[in-house]
Amino acid sequence: MLDARVWLVWVVTALVASSVARNPLYAVLLLLITVIVGAACRAEGDRTGGRPSVLSPLRFAALAIPLSGLFNALSVHFGDTVLFRLPGNWPFIGGPVTLEAFTYGAQNGIALSAIFAAFMAFNLVTPVRDLVGIAPRAFHETGVVISIALTFIPQTVESLTRIRHAQAVRGHRLQGLRDWPPIVLPLLISGLEQSMGLAEAMVARGYGAVSDQRQSARMSAGIALSLLVVLTGWLTLLFSTRWRVAGLVLMGVGAGLMLALLWSAGRSVPHTSYRPRRWTVRDTLGVAGCGLALAAASLRAYPGHSTLYYMPYPRLTLPPFAPLVGLGLLGLLAPAILAGRRAPFAPPLDGEHAEV
Amino acid sequence: MIEFEHVTYTYPGASGPALSDVTLSIAEGEFVLVAGPSGAGKSTLLRCINGLVPHFSGGVVSGRIRVAGNDPLALGPQSLSRVVGFVFQDPEAQFVLDRVEDEIAFALENAALSPSEMRVRVEEVLNLLDLAPLRNRTLQTLSGGEKQRVAIAAALAFRPRVLVLDEPTSQLDPQSAEDVLNALTRLNVDQGLTVVLAEHRLERVLPHVDRLVYLSREPLRGEGMRVLSGTPREVLRQVDLAPQLVVLGKALGWEPLPLTVKEGRAFANGMASTAPDTSVRPSRSRVPGEALLSIDRLSFAYNGSSALAGVSLTVHKGELVVLMGRNGSGKTTLLKCIVGILRPDRGEVKLAGESLLGKETAEIGQQVGYLPQDPDDLLFADSVNEELGVTLRYHNLLANPPIPPGELLQRLGLSDVATAYPRDLSVGQRQRVGLGAVTVTRPRLLMLDEPTRGLDYSAKQALVRLLREWQAEGVGVLLVTHDVELAAQAADRVVILSQGEIVADDTPEVLTVSPLFAPQVARLFPGRGWLVVEDALRGLGKA
Repeated sequence: MLDARVWLVWVVTALVASSVARNPLYAVLLLLITVIVGAACRAEGDRTGGRPSVLSPLRFAALAIPLSGLFNALSVHFGDTVLFRLPGNWPFIGGPVTLEAFTYGAQNGIALSAIFAAFMAFNLVTPVRDLVGIAPRAFHETGVVISIALTFIPQTVESLTRIRHAQAVRGHRLQGLRDWPPIVLPLLISGLEQSMGLAEAMVARGYGAVSDQRQSARMSAGIALSLLVVLTGWLTLLFSTRWRVAGLVLMGVGAGLMLALLWSAGRSVPHTSYRPRRWTVRDTLGVAGCGLALAAASLRAYPGHSTLYYMPYPRLTLPPFAPLVGLGLLGLLAPAILAGRRAPFAPPLDGEHAEV
Repeated sequence: MIEFEHVTYTYPGASGPALSDVTLSIAEGEFVLVAGPSGAGKSTLLRCINGLVPHFSGGVVSGRIRVAGNDPLALGPQSLSRVVGFVFQDPEAQFVLDRVEDEIAFALENAALSPSEMRVRVEEVLNLLDLAPLRNRTLQTLSGGEKQRVAIAAALAFRPRVLVLDEPTSQLDPQSAEDVLNALTRLNVDQGLTVVLAEHRLERVLPHVDRLVYLSREPLRGEGMRVLSGTPREVLRQVDLAPQLVVLGKALGWEPLPLTVKEGRAFANGMASTAPDTSVRPSRSRVPGEALLSIDRLSFAYNGSSALAGVSLTVHKGELVVLMGRNGSGKTTLLKCIVGILRPDRGEVKLAGESLLGKETAEIGQQVGYLPQDPDDLLFADSVNEELGVTLRYHNLLANPPIPPGELLQRLGLSDVATAYPRDLSVGQRQRVGLGAVTVTRPRLLMLDEPTRGLDYSAKQALVRLLREWQAEGVGVLLVTHDVELAAQAADRVVILSQGEIVADDTPEVLTVSPLFAPQVARLFPGRGWLVVEDALRGLGKA
């Protein structure tokens, strides 16, 4: 499997590319890429303990694209190709409904679906443990909190369903907002009880035994101070033309101080990893693929870059497509291509642990 | 290994102490069972051993505690985690990560052990608890017993000298519970680990323990003493709360008091051969009345995976049917299909001849009272009284309730706490409030899903009495339970589910031939058809 950091780079690249590419052809390409990667890595996710998707990306797209197109078509009344007209005295939706407005909305829906598919794939292949590992050591506790929150989400959904059913059995009908308290109150109380139970279990297992409260307080004070220095520099830069250099220096000093504090705090966090993962050739290839896609989406000085942008208004035309840009975006397929191919130094799989 | 000297502890805001002047000594390598009625302070006592009480709970504590020479009251649970491993009732509630190996290594990573040291320790506990084949599995794919063994493994990762477990088998079927207890015995015998365990179902644990610590809410033997400690025989001789085998042994004067069926059989074999009545017990199964609930070839699948396959079942008026089966056999799914929470793929469900399929759950709920596994899912009102009022309001029955709420509360033994906040009550009381909330519409059928979790013997007896009263009024009862002794005591008919199919639907005597679900008395007198102590005493002419 790929390193969690590669997946983080992949999901950020997919997010940037989907946000930048305002051309429906590229947006569709990105949607297909993210769906293919998710499908190709499903087996890997099942094996490594990733979290399965609550909603299929294709089903999400089937809902999001027409709904987004319809909403835009009803709320934006620009464009030359009028499909039909709604009475002008109808508030908000009254007026011409155009193909251009529908296309623009659908285009947003495709981008949204691609982002959703990317997050679902990321969610599928990264176990909670690896997410904790991604966090810098200084933020280890924050990482643990986030990982617990992630495992709490499905539990909360389960509790919600259970409580809804229990209340329905005693005659509760969910018809309006005022019917929610019988669901929300037990959910909140059981969530709090569950949190207390987990906290008790973690304390009983020694969690937090080695944390240094004074160190933590010093760290907070240091971060606040460095932010203050950055803010002072920024304000100096903003309001004074004479002290621009001083402002830049202050911002630099503040940022440097913050990095030094985080580095120092990271070193003082006593934490080791059960299975420290080595960076492999596959990981490098995965990052290279992402780099290619990122370059296609964000670098400006190459032929065909302008085709990333497309506006259907005022009259719908065929969106332009540059093969070079398309090829670059295909770099995001790297995880799907690499899925299932075991690297020479990949971590052991089932049954391969050394005898102790 | 563990010393308590005059320990008294009071929870914040509590009117009285949860532990009062407890003096106790547990030697290294002992397997100790902590028993007693609900609310006697078992969990509090366990939490004192690793310092969760008072460090996590707050409150006021006095006296002296020593665990392997450490003072948990001064050091707290984090420091004590190297000495005391703690396992809670619900394994899922204590998991932080999502894979077996990662979960076991979590505490070690946070203690900054070297990767090589961690590997050794994780391998150790995986092997000790037979978890090596499951090492890469996600926790959500494990069975209840496997999850509990993972929780034990995680607690053992620090190689503690003491393992403390708070009702670790209460949510498990008999086979899974036995697997967990065998693992604990192995740790105790082979590794010399001191094990302290609280449990309500004594019959499960007694064969494994060296010593019994009994906590009581009331003074024992009129001496102001609330803790009894000694060998299980010594303690059980002095208390009423005991499993069926011990109750029978006491009634028949068996000495030494048998704790296991094997020990009891030595007495039973001699007695049974000279018993005046050798006929099987008179069947408790009644002449079936009018059919109330009729299920015909019901099938249901979760995402293509079959959970119920052609289940047919009838519950008659005034009949109590016990539904048993291993975890995941489809029991809860069947109840959910009956009340319309799940829509069956095929088949028919009728109540008094009228189809329930397609009806809203809220509508079915007026005729079918369904108490889910966790009664807390029902409770949100400010008082017990109000909980009953909420159900009546849902069904527009507030002005004209089928049964006056005050009368129902009295029947449930809740009159004294009618104005109390339901979630402040004990497990048994909360369960009865939940029961009140689903029966205040006077349903014709009552379905209870694992209603005895966390209940002591006397609370179970009270529940059985209550169900008998309702039965006498013509209410049909469908009871899902893992508690074989309860089933033996209460059932008119027993239905056993396995992998979504009914494998037995018979009189309660079917339990006597089931290797998994046979109660102690049935195992003691095989072939006689006796299920409970009263049957045996009657059969032996000692009633």
